[in-house]
Amino acid sequence: MSRLLTWLERETGLVSAWSRFWLQPLPNGVGWAHTFGALTLLCLTVLFVTGAVLMFYYSPTPDQAYASVQYIDHRVPFGSLIRSLHYWSARLIVPLMVVHLLRVFLWGAYKKPRQMIWILGVLFLVLIIGFGLTGYALPWDQKAYWGTAVRLQIAESLPAIGRAVASFLRGGPELGSLTLMRFYVLHCFLFPVLIAILVIIHVRQVHHLGVAAPWVRVDEEDRVPKTQRLHPEHTARISLLALLLTMSLLILSTRYPAPLEPRANPSDTAYKPHPDFYVLWLHELIKLFPPHLEFIASFLIPTAFILLLVVVPFLERSPERVISKRIPAISTGLTVTFAIVVLQLKGLRAMPPEEQLTPLERYGQEIFVQLKCYTCHGINGGGGPVGPDLGLGGKRDSEKVRAILENPGSFNAHTLMPQYRLPPEQMTALVAYIVGIGPNSRMPPIPPVDPEKPPSHFEPTWLSDHKFEVRKDPESCNTCHRPFFCQACHQKRLPSSHDQYWLKFHFGNAAEQPKMCQSCHDDSYCADCHQKMRHDTAWITDHGKALAQWGHLTRWSEKTGLSLCYQCHTKVSCDQCHHGAVPESHRLADFFRRHGELLAVKEKEGNPTRQDCTTCHSSQFCTNCHQERARPQSHKASDFVWKAPNNPDGYQGKSGHAQEALKKGEGSCQTCHQSSFCRNCHGISLPHPRSFLSDHAREGASKRALCQRCHGWTDPNCQSCHTKTRPRSHILDYRKQHSRDPTIASGSCQVCHGSRSCDDCHGLPMPHPPDFIHTHGDLASQLGLKGGKRVSRLREQICVTCHQPSFCRRCHLPD
Amino acid sequence: MMARRRLLDILVKLSALAVSGVFGLPALLALVLPSFRKPATVRVRLGPLSQFSATRPVAVSVSYQKRDGWVIRSFRRTVFVSFIAPGQFKVLSNICTHASCAITWDGQKNGFFCPCHDGLFGKDGRVLAGPPTRPLEEFPVQIEGGYLFVELPA
Repeated sequence: MSRLLTWLERETGLVSAWSRFWLQPLPNGVGWAHTFGALTLLCLTVLFVTGAVLMFYYSPTPDQAYASVQYIDHRVPFGSLIRSLHYWSARLIVPLMVVHLLRVFLWGAYKKPRQMIWILGVLFLVLIIGFGLTGYALPWDQKAYWGTAVRLQIAESLPAIGRAVASFLRGGPELGSLTLMRFYVLHCFLFPVLIAILVIIHVRQVHHLGVAAPWVRVDEEDRVPKTQRLHPEHTARISLLALLLTMSLLILSTRYPAPLEPRANPSDTAYKPHPDFYVLWLHELIKLFPPHLEFIASFLIPTAFILLLVVVPFLERSPERVISKRIPAISTGLTVTFAIVVLQLKGLRAMPPEEQLTPLERYGQEIFVQLKCYTCHGINGGGGPVGPDLGLGGKRDSEKVRAILENPGSFNAHTLMPQYRLPPEQMTALVAYIVGIGPNSRMPPIPPVDPEKPPSHFEPTWLSDHKFEVRKDPESCNTCHRPFFCQACHQKRLPSSHDQYWLKFHFGNAAEQPKMCQSCHDDSYCADCHQKMRHDTAWITDHGKALAQWGHLTRWSEKTGLSLCYQCHTKVSCDQCHHGAVPESHRLADFFRRHGELLAVKEKEGNPTRQDCTTCHSSQFCTNCHQERARPQSHKASDFVWKAPNNPDGYQGKSGHAQEALKKGEGSCQTCHQSSFCRNCHGISLPHPRSFLSDHAREGASKRALCQRCHGWTDPNCQSCHTKTRPRSHILDYRKQHSRDPTIASGSCQVCHGSRSCDDCHGLPMPHPPDFIHTHGDLASQLGLKGGKRVSRLREQICVTCHQPSFCRRCHLPD
Repeated sequence: MMARRRLLDILVKLSALAVSGVFGLPALLALVLPSFRKPATVRVRLGPLSQFSATRPVAVSVSYQKRDGWVIRSFRRTVFVSFIAPGQFKVLSNICTHASCAITWDGQKNGFFCPCHDGLFGKDGRVLAGPPTRPLEEFPVQIEGGYLFVELPA
């Protein structure tokens, strides 16, 4: 190490220069008051170190600046501490410099030959103020944006050069990326380079000329003994104060971290920027002048003040340093200082008072943050642009605030605001906080969300444009948001696709793009409806029961089950059964249960009014209920559809439904069933149409089996007609000619005369069975005819009924 | 006098060390520590298990927010879900480990085929043929509530 230092000394002489610097003798009287320059230098060093680290993570574009500062605060190790140290060092360096400047002024340390040191110090102060002005804009939060806007406006008000200066700083027509980049370059490159040069020259000059001996004439300095050295005597003082300063910075940085207001929002006109404390005096000075003369306060007086400071060493040339012998300079300086202090105090008094919250209001503020009310509402700026700014609008009525929170829709049908059903103590606290919000209230610190919002979410049109993003990539929302996030707003205002026809047609969309649905809805969302409600037969039967269970419950985006029905059905369709302008008879409490019974009673009274049902109800109406599970009472009889045969003919008699149909008339079945219903089984229209009587002979001939389903061979219905009126075919000598009737072969006689009617006349099965030609010889023996004459006797008894004697001779030879 | 100066010298140096440490150490750590931070992952739902029970690997396109420092962007990628056994799945990258081409499932070759240099990977991601030397990148999977989740680099 020593060899390295020797080499360095031989090559550069820096080692001996370093030693000479620290060992320089200081005059007697240099003490604690001479430490503020070193403390200022310490602050500047902290600013350089922390600023360099911040530069590693900061991005000077409006899109990313705020996000990068958030990143520093929340993701960089010690990032928040470093930014806070930078913030507090920047604030402490100004008063330290002012104290240092005052000390030099009061001590008269700027006098020849130390005029340049003074001038460099004043320029140093100007640059520090420049640092503050440019660094103010970099976080690109509300305060940065609006504060910068105000300052550029002040610069623009300067006569002649104002517009040019403001345009140069702004870089373009409005605050934006060009402005931010210019401020960044000034803050992080140009000013640091300049200030480094100034500091090096300043310190070198101090070392070169030595520290001025206090309270002695300039020409008597050499007589002051130099009893101490910079190190370690004076550095010990500096070290002690540096430790105190370091502790102060640490305490301030950890207890009061650097603030970061909501992201800059150029459209947020409710934000009220407040000046920083160290320019309050200037702010108050500006207020003393009318608007058109503001430039006097904002530019001329500060410029004159700086120029005055610069020329002080040249104005006050007397070699005296004792205060009592420098009355004009000291009095001028104290007057200026006094004016600044008065203005500063006035500014402090004019500052809006700190928000004083009661414990209840503070709890309400916590609820406000927990519920993320700031997403929509600002408080004198900040917050989302959706709802009104709560800092505006004057004093609120607590009952009305409570009512709005509990049911926003009752005040504005189109509101997006969700209902809040909070426990009473939380609701009371939140109401108290909202009522207490006034024009001086500030938005509480908003905790960062993780992950941070992407830049797109901060675009002014994001709220209206987000649906396009969802359509483009529905999954991307799910990365950060859970479905209930969408529903917070869309409970009240459905997406534009969810129009009045949406429920009807949503299935196709859901089937094709399920991820689209999943972006807003949980998986269980579909099941909520569909596990209970599918529009099948079972649903129609059970829908009353289901709706009774959950129809009136508020679910599905504040809708009830019944309101979902109305998305597809009109109220009339429900009223057909359930409500509407029903007849008096329907108003009975238990009409629905007893309507079948009541109808039967009416019919018994000889007032067959079943057709009245079709006056209002369609033929499908009854089948809505009376399907498998809920048939009318009459239909539940075991023989209602089919009756077992009860006689040798195989005729089963009239089944229940036939008897009903015949008894109650044509419209009876059609109350519930369509006219085609009967044809399903009977194969013909039933009840028989009026024209059937004239056609039934033909129908009966062609479809005898159909007739037999309902009508027996001895059906009294047939007998009732045919005993009085003969069929048209049965002409007077039909008995003789009926064998020529072609319909006989089909058994049509049996329709009216019964299956044994031919046998009764003919004495043998008629028409002849197919093998009769071979078996007819047995007839004689069956009839008990014996002997040689049996064939003749058979013919005389039976065959001649139909056949001529010559008929037998076709086969049989004569005896 | 010399002892006093010596003592002051030591105290001053200790103070300088303390002040430098207070300000310098956080600054140093703020720059160094992020380099050693464990890469972040994001949990993405791939779908219901029934969707991946086929013998053929299923390609799933997922979209998620990817963080690049303070910049958050929507990121889209495709992964293959291979059914290994009931309740056992492998989620594989669709990027070939040789030249970063996108692979596809080739039913005839019964493997993931890379069209750039004819690389072939098995259903479980192992190299079967071609120039790749490393298996397909595999991502950790989780099964919860009948759904398959995957941890992807954020």
